[in-house]
Amino acid sequence: MDAGSSLKILIADDNKSDRMILSAIVKKMGHEVCEAGDGLEAIAQFKQALPDIILLDVIMPNMDGQAAALEIKSLAGEDMIPIIFLTSLQDAHDLAKCLDSGGDDFLTKPYNKIILQAKINAFSRMRKMHHTLQRQRDLIRENNEYMVHEQEVAKAVYDNVTHAGCLHLPNLKYLLSPFSVFNGDVLLAARKPSGSMHILLGDFTGHGLPAAIGAMPLAEIFYGMTAKGFAMEDILREINIKLKNILPIGYFCCVCMVNLSFRKQELEVWMGGLPDFYLYRYDDKSIDKVVSTHLPLGVLSSQAFDGNTQKYSFRRNDKLYMWSDGIVESRNDHGDLFGEERLQNIFDNNEDDALLFDEIVKTVNEFTGERGKDDDTTLLEVRMVEEAEVGEVSIDLSSGMVSGPMDWNMCYTLRGDTLKTFNPMPLMLSILSDVPYLKGLSGQLYTLMAELFSNAFEHGVLSLNSSLKQDAKGFSEYYSQREAAIKELKEGTVSFEFDHKPIPGGGRLMIMVSDSGNGFDYKRRQDKNFVNQGYSGRGIPLILSICDNLEYVGNGNQVRVDLSWTAD
Amino acid sequence: MSHLNLGQINELKDLMEDAFDDLINTYVQDSDEKIVLLQSAIENQDKNKIAEISHSLKGSSANICAEFLSGLFKQVEDQARADNLTNIEQSFALAQDEFQQVRSELNKLNR
Repeated sequence: MDAGSSLKILIADDNKSDRMILSAIVKKMGHEVCEAGDGLEAIAQFKQALPDIILLDVIMPNMDGQAAALEIKSLAGEDMIPIIFLTSLQDAHDLAKCLDSGGDDFLTKPYNKIILQAKINAFSRMRKMHHTLQRQRDLIRENNEYMVHEQEVAKAVYDNVTHAGCLHLPNLKYLLSPFSVFNGDVLLAARKPSGSMHILLGDFTGHGLPAAIGAMPLAEIFYGMTAKGFAMEDILREINIKLKNILPIGYFCCVCMVNLSFRKQELEVWMGGLPDFYLYRYDDKSIDKVVSTHLPLGVLSSQAFDGNTQKYSFRRNDKLYMWSDGIVESRNDHGDLFGEERLQNIFDNNEDDALLFDEIVKTVNEFTGERGKDDDTTLLEVRMVEEAEVGEVSIDLSSGMVSGPMDWNMCYTLRGDTLKTFNPMPLMLSILSDVPYLKGLSGQLYTLMAELFSNAFEHGVLSLNSSLKQDAKGFSEYYSQREAAIKELKEGTVSFEFDHKPIPGGGRLMIMVSDSGNGFDYKRRQDKNFVNQGYSGRGIPLILSICDNLEYVGNGNQVRVDLSWTAD
Repeated sequence: MSHLNLGQINELKDLMEDAFDDLINTYVQDSDEKIVLLQSAIENQDKNKIAEISHSLKGSSANICAEFLSGLFKQVEDQARADNLTNIEQSFALAQDEFQQVRSELNKLNR
């Protein structure tokens, strides 16, 4: 319906000759005309012919123009049907009433066709605009309904993935106050198989859906790896590289992750990019601040990522207060920041630490007042309790093996030329590393295995005397003897036996190394507890520092090492 | 002095083209009927009826370019609306005379 294109126009006038003139004018403009002789007829014609514009005489028999206009406007509903009243200038006092009854304009007699044309064109444009507006409004409404539905489904998925974990436990109090449907802050808590607790508070750049979407892989990794007993550093490293890969440039996640060990009464913290947290000391009511020492997650490459943690003693009833920057950066009606000082004051003025959490919430709410918040706000209080208070960990077997292969035995024997030339370390370490906790010890395990292997091979199979290595000269003599002995060696074996068994909260690894040599008088040295004598001493003191115990068996050609670990 | 605005009536003629004769006939016939109705309304002192009919005649006469006649019907209408019928018969008589003049001029145009 262009402004210049043909319209259907209803002319309602009780005067036949007036109708004829008006009709002739309108037809000359190229529009289609339908006619009515009074108000009732006008309504009937309106229903039947659905005109675009109506020219309506004011004074008509049966039903006058004003009553007809009211009726037609109510029939038209949301549709815009312009009504132009036909009147004479002398009746100006009636005009206001005409416009009140729903008229949009008026035309005076005698009719001027130029003015009429201008009015028809103007209303045609207005009607077209109205249609466009309505269509767009309907489209927006439709799209919005669709979007709301999508968001509801997405929210359900999101909630399932970023579920609250063990936030319900009695030593935790939390407040999650998202700015929109989706929360750009994440608060996750889960128990490790060992019984200790991992807590993660994350604040993604921005808020709403774009911020929340990164929370899904984060939560997935956090819960998955925590349930399997991975250490904090491994989990953070994994989350970091994931976020680095998926988040656009300039988007990242400020994170604080905490490992709460009930047994050790210790708090291990990794913090990147969040405001200082407060560590409340129950004994003397003092506050230690926990400060961010890292960059947020999703910024650094895996190589540059630093997983170092800080450890704090965390005694019974000590409390850690964690928050997103939505707290200190909340604003009041005047636009002032809440700030560190107000936060500090709450702690300074507190008389009963059981009320601290509620006091923080109340103070912040009173500060922001009517204005409300403009960012996601998250607050968490972590209290140290006896492990019994938070209960035992129910290990979820559906999340896969809790700590990799836990119960297994393996023997591996090297013979002949392979014994001379092959380095078995990488292979054996790779097998041990399948146990996630042992992977974290791979450096120490390497040292241990390398010592045991060289002892078995050089002193056992090759019968070299370690006392040679007492000084630098003897050291080089030792290595030339070693070379010669390897050349001459016809047969010999070194066997490794590994045995790994689960124990509560961890596992025990036994390593037995046997060689085909003649053994040695270990009893005398065992009594001396293998005190290191210069360069020699078979590296035993070093091994003892890593393991629970070391023991020679048989005639000294077998050595057994035990190493037990717990997931803390 | 002409009883019709001749400039306007020519415009009207251009506008109506073939329907011009029909328009004139319709106006004359319609007005005849309304004048009869107006006469009886005046006899009955029915103010609303007088106002309604004279209003209609005022409008249609203006459109047919009979400005003076339109003015006379306006006087009738105004008196009815002002609730003062003292001079209404006199005004109506003037309007009737003028209508006859307009009719004969229109008939001349119509020929």
